[in-house]
Amino acid sequence: MLVDFIQNTLDGLSAGAAYALLALGFTLIFGVLRRANLSFGPAIMFGCYAATWTHVNFGAGLLLLALITVGGAVLAGAYVERLCFAPHRGGSAIAAMVASFALWMQFEELATLVMPRHLYAFPLLVEGDPLALGPFTLRVDALVTLAVALIACMLLAWTLYRTRFGLAVRALIEQPSAAALAGINVPWVFVRVFALASAIGGVAGYLVVATHGQITPMLGMWATLKGLLAMMLGGLGSLPGAVIGGLALGLLEAHSQWYLGPQMRDLIAYLLLFVLLAARVPWMTTRSAS
Amino acid sequence: MSFLSVRDVVTAYGKIEALKGVSLEVAEGAITCLLGPNGAGKTTLMMTIAGILKPRRGSIRFAGGEIAGRAPHAIVARGVALVPENRLVFAAMSVLENLQAGAYQRRDRNAVGGDIERMFARFPRLKERAAQQAGTLSGGEQQMLAVARALMSRPQLLLMDEPSLGLAPLVVEEIFRIVAELHRDGATIFLVEQNAHMALKVAQHFYLMEQGKVTFSGDPGSLAEDEVIQRAYLGSAKS
Repeated sequence: MLVDFIQNTLDGLSAGAAYALLALGFTLIFGVLRRANLSFGPAIMFGCYAATWTHVNFGAGLLLLALITVGGAVLAGAYVERLCFAPHRGGSAIAAMVASFALWMQFEELATLVMPRHLYAFPLLVEGDPLALGPFTLRVDALVTLAVALIACMLLAWTLYRTRFGLAVRALIEQPSAAALAGINVPWVFVRVFALASAIGGVAGYLVVATHGQITPMLGMWATLKGLLAMMLGGLGSLPGAVIGGLALGLLEAHSQWYLGPQMRDLIAYLLLFVLLAARVPWMTTRSAS
Repeated sequence: MSFLSVRDVVTAYGKIEALKGVSLEVAEGAITCLLGPNGAGKTTLMMTIAGILKPRRGSIRFAGGEIAGRAPHAIVARGVALVPENRLVFAAMSVLENLQAGAYQRRDRNAVGGDIERMFARFPRLKERAAQQAGTLSGGEQQMLAVARALMSRPQLLLMDEPSLGLAPLVVEEIFRIVAELHRDGATIFLVEQNAHMALKVAQHFYLMEQGKVTFSGDPGSLAEDEVIQRAYLGSAKS
């Protein structure tokens, strides 16, 4: 019993690590631009498909594929930012969100046009058997995911707390007007935050696709849903909350699947979200500027 | 030639015109004060000058260049800094980080350290709380922090929007002492205030604004103080 619990916890943590990265990317955009980017997952999917296309047509090593994934996600993110968010900067948040939804559709269509098969194989991160540690099974790719996610979080924290750019990001999250009055070039910060969030998402996307060994056009929606869910579980607009939400989501899914069956796995997360929203738990509301 | 020249500025929120054609001048080296009742448009004017709001019409010239409609960071680069209403300090950041944020555009990083020391000398309570989160400071300390943050960009024109708002009388006196001190050290200050009595004591020139227009311009002696106060708080009878 305890062995199962710990095993599920380990599995849940590694899935949660990817969710945490997705939530971080989502939260950066939501916290700084105060807009929900519905093309966040699809931009990641674009990067993963670019890597898949490269692999299918030319063959490529793991590192190159990772770089293409992240680079593709950043490129797609820039496209989304320019088209959906820059034009509506002072205007309607809904317009920006609906526009990002339209681009989501665009990315999905593009993926199915260029790569028509529903499923493509993707090179595995790690070949070979999982490690056995006493009664526990440790997948090496799960460990890699955890390690990479940890490094990514540390790099993000360093960026936020030790660089001038990070100071601007934190100021904009807290007090957008005062940040502009302090001389921060707000549009330029938005562009860089988008690139950073897309890069983090790209890393998460690569880890997930390389762990599962396959990619489908559903990746865009999947990443958006997990990222949104984890962000909301951890508290809208809070970066530490994004990490906690992501890990919590991973643990919740792993344990629900074990004790309640695979059908309950997704349902439980949505149920929890509904309950928390309905009960208006304080940390779920936006950290708004005073 | 005046330092800041506002001509016929109209700023609107959708269909509602908050500024209906405002014209005024701020002279270099002086403290100019803008008084008026709530809703007159004083904060809207400050936000328009600072670039947060864009005017529909009109011109704002500062030190020879047109700044109307420019981005806020471009206006800071020109030498204008606003201490906003309600201070808006970065509550989760330390006092020191707030000051660093104010110096965001400065390229001369070495001089920034010196300026921070000067701010701490001018505002000793901020030095005591340098590592503390700005949100834990008292109202008066947050006001001083907001002023110091604006000064970090070495502005040539300092705009202040209701620095005495919500502060106890003793603290208000301290704030105005600092305003007078800054003026003595050569600063040009354009000050919005509800506290007409204190403002008239420090200003060299003042304007009255009511319902989106300037209704009076003069020096502190030119209108009986009780009439000024009446119009500043209540508006004039004929409007």
